[in-house]
This record gives sequence, C-alpha cells and structure tokens, in this order.
Amino acid sequence: MHRIKVTFRVLVFIIAGLFLHYVLPQHDIVKITSTEIIRTDFSSYNRIFYAQADSGAVEQPTRDLRLINTDKKKTWLLGFIPRDSTEVMVYRNEDTGWIWPPYFKFDSSDLQAEAASAARGESWAVVTHYGWRVRWASIYPNAVAVRLVDGPDVRIIPWFNIFFFGFLIVGIVFLRAMWRQFRERTVDPLMDSAEHRFDEASAGISEKKGRVSRWLGTWRAKK
Amino acid sequence: MSFIRLLLFGFLALSVVYLSISVYSRSVRREKLEKAWAKDNPGRTDMAARDAFVAEGIAAYNASFRPKLIGLVYIVPTVVVIAIVYITNAN
Repeated sequence: MHRIKVTFRVLVFIIAGLFLHYVLPQHDIVKITSTEIIRTDFSSYNRIFYAQADSGAVEQPTRDLRLINTDKKKTWLLGFIPRDSTEVMVYRNEDTGWIWPPYFKFDSSDLQAEAASAARGESWAVVTHYGWRVRWASIYPNAVAVRLVDGPDVRIIPWFNIFFFGFLIVGIVFLRAMWRQFRERTVDPLMDSAEHRFDEASAGISEKKGRVSRWLGTWRAKK
Repeated sequence: MSFIRLLLFGFLALSVVYLSISVYSRSVRREKLEKAWAKDNPGRTDMAARDAFVAEGIAAYNASFRPKLIGLVYIVPTVVVIAIVYITNAN
C-alpha cells in the first residue's frame, strides 16, 4: 500500500512537472537565420501540440504555419547553465488567442516580421517560447517574443516563472489551510455525531441480542 | 467566440474561488469568536449567550470591509490578463 502511494505521488509530480515545463515560458539565446511558412496537415496525435488558426480566422483541417529557423546556444539544466556549442532550433509562430495556454498572443504576423528583420543581420536575440521540439512527431515550440540583445552572454532573469512559482506555493498553502479548516469545522463534527449514533445503534443491537440469547438460554439444558 | 468562452469559464472558475474563500474566511472568524468566548467565560455553559455573542461577531464581520476585499478575486486576474495581453502584443 505504501509503495503504491509513493508511486502514485511520484507519477503525479512527474506529470505536473512535465505539464509546467511545456506551458511555462523559457528563454533561448539564438541567432535567427531565416523565417519560412510551410503548409501543415495535422495528425490526430500531434494536433494538441499546435494552437488554432489565427485568432481572427476560421479553423480548417490544413493551414500554413509560420516557422522561425535559428541557431540556438545549448544549455544545461533548463537553460540555467550556458554552454559554448550551438544547435539548430526551429520555432513555430502561432496565435494562442484567447485559448490555452494563456499567453494571449495575437501578433504572430508582427513577430514574424521582427524575426525576419533579425534574420537579416548577425545580431543575437532572446526568444521567449513555450513547448517542446519533438522531431519524430513534428512538434515545435511556439515563440512568443523576440528581443534583440548585444551578445550571447546576456543574463536572463525569468521573472514570470519566479512570480508564478511563488504564487503557486502560496496557493497550495492556502488551499491546505482551507481544507484543514473544512475538515475541522464541518467533516469532523459530522463524523463525531455519526459515530455517536453508530455507538447508540450498536449498543441497541447488543442489548437485543442479549435478550434473544437469554430467551434461547431458557431452552438450553440447565446445568 | 473563444473570448466569450474565456469570459464564461473564467467567471465560473473565479466564482468557485470567491465562494470558497468567503466560506473559509467566515469559518475562521467564527472559530476566533468561539475561542474568544471560551477564554473570557471559562466554565460557563450558557449556550444561548455564546451563540448570541458569535452571531453578533459574524454580523459585525459581514458589515465590515474585510469580506468585500474578497472581491479582489475577480479584479486581480482581470488586471493580470489585461497586462499579459498588452505585454505580449506590444511591439
């Protein structure tokens, strides 16, 4: 039982962690090399890793997808430790609109223009994005913002994530306090009264049983 | 259309949060009042007086400014969403 509990908790933790890793913004230091548009036919398994049509447009089974091609600086440990080597990285550039995840991004075209402008020069840029690059499923991270920087050694402070996790911890502590209060004030008194009633009922039953066995006893042979 | 859906579900979700915080806050207040009564009147078993004291305290709490602060549950996320919309889409 204990092992099942631990396994369940670890599983919940991993799933929540993966979910947050997918949805929360991350920053990459890149050199934008080009931008392009490809037609995309989604399959049933990679569809959920794409957003929907531009927020003013209508959804079709097939549509064009904006991509930003880059040379990205490699990092260790979720981008906290920089490395010298680079790799290619391709970002998609889609409106999230009013729908999930709540980036409320409507300016994909403008972002594509910024990226195209950055691709003309040699300057470094910080791309804010969410999502994963999964090559075998043709899944791309979605770029949310592009900001030009002076060089590749720029220090990035993830303000949003700092506030997000702070708020998450406060929320969990608050939820726990609420749950405890609810148990102490509502569930426990109910349980107490139920227990009390159960005790009374079982006392009544044993009394009745006593009567029956006493009656039965009158039929038994006297010793 | 998706904007209306966001408004609707956002409103529903925030209403759940609002109601739970209201109930929680009132419950904490009631507990405090009961403890204050137990401290001031040790050994007194007059339940009617205790209930009147608690009811009075809850009425005072309901009339005060504190429960109205819980309305921030609606205001703060709205402001945050507007801020995110602006920050994401500003050039």
